[in-house]
Amino acid sequence: MSLIDIAALSVTFRANGRTVRAVEGVSLCVQAKESYGLVGESGSGKSTILRAICGLAPVSGGAIRIGGTDLPTPRGRAFARSVQMVFQDPYASLHPRHTIDRTLSEPLAIHGIADSDARVSRALDDVGLPRSFRFRYPHQLSGGQRQRVAIARALMLEPGILLLDEPTSALDASVQAEVLNLLSRLRVERGLTFVMVSHDLAVIDHMCDRVLVMQHGRAVEELARDDLAGARMTTVYARSLFDASADRMLGDGKGPPG
Amino acid sequence: MSLLRVKNLRVTFETENGPVQAVRGVSFSLGRERLGIVGESGSGKTMTGRALLRLIRPPGRIEVDAMVFDGQDVATASERQMRALRGRRIAMVMQDPKFSLNPVMTVGAQLTEGLRQRDRLGRADARARAVAALQAVQIRDVDRVMAAFPHELSGGMGQRVMIAMMLIPEPDLLIADEPTSALDVTVQAEVLSILDRLVRDRGMGLIFISHDLRLVARFCDRVLVMYKGRIVEELAAADLMAARHPYTRGLLNCLPRIGGPRGPLPGLDRTGAWAQ
Repeated sequence: MSLIDIAALSVTFRANGRTVRAVEGVSLCVQAKESYGLVGESGSGKSTILRAICGLAPVSGGAIRIGGTDLPTPRGRAFARSVQMVFQDPYASLHPRHTIDRTLSEPLAIHGIADSDARVSRALDDVGLPRSFRFRYPHQLSGGQRQRVAIARALMLEPGILLLDEPTSALDASVQAEVLNLLSRLRVERGLTFVMVSHDLAVIDHMCDRVLVMQHGRAVEELARDDLAGARMTTVYARSLFDASADRMLGDGKGPPG
Repeated sequence: MSLLRVKNLRVTFETENGPVQAVRGVSFSLGRERLGIVGESGSGKTMTGRALLRLIRPPGRIEVDAMVFDGQDVATASERQMRALRGRRIAMVMQDPKFSLNPVMTVGAQLTEGLRQRDRLGRADARARAVAALQAVQIRDVDRVMAAFPHELSGGMGQRVMIAMMLIPEPDLLIADEPTSALDVTVQAEVLSILDRLVRDRGMGLIFISHDLRLVARFCDRVLVMYKGRIVEELAAADLMAARHPYTRGLLNCLPRIGGPRGPLPGLDRTGAWAQ
């Protein structure tokens, strides 16, 4: 049985008499400890799927099961302990007037977990931030440092599943490399399951075992990593994304043969 | 004759801890071509772009030996002359539509404001021009976008609105500061081809500021690589893969690739003498 099982999920937004069908009948399943990628253009519904899992989007049809059980609405504390999300923009996702210490210790306070002092220190160590950052504010940190804080915050409750919504697209290439390396290390150390959204096929390829290509709210094609690297996609759209991927401009000869 | 010539540009900010030089002696010249400026955040690439329009406010300070645009001395031009230059002759597409569009005006009102005020167009004519500009940047749902406020648009839409806005006065030089960072690869390709067409058909000069080395290499004719306010390497875009400088090489190597190895990505080694 798969850890995350999404069946025929539909999300419909209604505003000002308009109806936007952001996700239409998408099904996917993610195995435990797998890293699963969602790729597509903006408006393809990839982030909406993550938000739907968290109960942040109006689900109009289908089912989301985690560990075989339907999710309660509202999601509740047990959900927060098993699933956490890292957002795209580390400038917007951290409270500007809370210190890093407060940001990191709040989930512990909500869940009544003792020992918050040691846990906050350990969380900073885990994401490679000096302990002296603990009483700083987000504006005193760089983008990469903030994203490390956001990852540390997501891991405070020791969830098994991490939902990553474009975690590095706001970062410089060299900082992106550091954050991706950090995520890979944490996944191995803690046996995490990732669902990662990105528009960058090269990032998805680097991080994920399988990837679902989406367009206009629908699933287009699911690809295993080898099929992506070997350009064995069967749909025109997946092919066009692959061809437009910037890393293809760097020429060949650096990747492994095959 | 070159469209723009810059010699020894320096941008300095006075801070409590003494002056900080954001740009430290940048020189280049630009014809009617696509020039890429790449570097990480903090490398001074955005400040270089802003300094060309003299858009740096105190306590920031611009010093330059020579800065000449189309025969006109920009370094000593009056504010009045600069206003005539900005937008109409040299336009700039800013990085973030969230902060660069007016949050309390509809997109339609923002797009037509310049046409109505500057070009004295009537309401219907201005609207027609604005609609055409939006269509030129591949916006399909034009009526909705015209009536929308910036917060109702996605990042990619907002970015395209800004590009449309900057292209309406048909400038001679466009400074595009990360114009496609918020866009999807396929939309990015469309926007780049729009910019490309403008450079080719209208002989517009383009300064393309980006952190994405791969994109710049694909799109530009020439690339300046900046680090800590200096140009560390200048090369033809086609030769990027043969770059010599350790910083340029480091930037290239830290990017993941489709089908590449899955081990940790190499970080950037900043211990060399060049990094001081």
